[in-house]
Amino acid sequence: MSLIRSTFTLLPSRRIRPLQHNPPGDLAIWVFILAELVTFFALFSAYAFARLSHRELFAEMQKTLDAEAGMINTLLLITGSWCVAQAVAAIERHRNRQSGHWLLAAIVAGAAFLVVKYVEYAAKFAQGIDLSTNLFYAFYFSLTAFHAMHVLLGMAILCFVWRKAMQGGYSAADHRGMETAASYWHMVDLVWIVLFPLVYLMR
Amino acid sequence: MNRSVLNLVWVALMAATLLTWGVGKTIAMNATFVMGVLVLAGLKGWLIIEEFMALRRVRWFWRGLLLGWLMLTLFVIFFAYGLSLR
Repeated sequence: MSLIRSTFTLLPSRRIRPLQHNPPGDLAIWVFILAELVTFFALFSAYAFARLSHRELFAEMQKTLDAEAGMINTLLLITGSWCVAQAVAAIERHRNRQSGHWLLAAIVAGAAFLVVKYVEYAAKFAQGIDLSTNLFYAFYFSLTAFHAMHVLLGMAILCFVWRKAMQGGYSAADHRGMETAASYWHMVDLVWIVLFPLVYLMR
Repeated sequence: MNRSVLNLVWVALMAATLLTWGVGKTIAMNATFVMGVLVLAGLKGWLIIEEFMALRRVRWFWRGLLLGWLMLTLFVIFFAYGLSLR
């Protein structure tokens, strides 16, 4: 009975928790995120419609891609995003050093993503395949390299935030900078969630 | 942020990725496959936006913009692939 009473006492307080006006982090990063998302929307649309008039070429070329590498990179980015979310959760609980460790794990995941991407590119270049090989590979290299640059930028931001976190620069009351970096990193993950099936799987 | 929820979301995202990849390796391309892959991508994107980006507790303007981007992007891709499958 007491369990039921305590449950009903808890539920309303969860429901009436007010919604925040603005998303986590600095508002400027969200404007930047939106601009990036619009750019990727244009690129994905261009790929999907270009494929309409080159279906056989795209299907054949997609078979030459390393889908395992794409899948591993998806797992790495998802894990990196999870680590960053855990870093924010840790700082909210006053666990500053733990938060730093989660950020470092996210940086490692990002670095591993770039290593896998490098291996993938190196294999293609060794086969004489590059940006000018055909329309599919022009899209493949443009889309994935543009995304990889975002991963690189996200890692640079995370390194800065990690250093500050380890120096005690964030607290449970003030960790806006970390939330800003986290939002950007999640955007990089979100874009790859669409890019992976589009380029590697959907033939 | 609730750590248990974050862990659950991570497991769900990893499982959905492996499922998408496994299905993509074994099933031939058809409208059902395209729809299934895009629905899974949509669910994964929704989890990232709601839980990792923590927009679940943010007013609808920002949340709507990101979820709207996701739905519009997946719809345009589905539309283009739908045209090619006709």
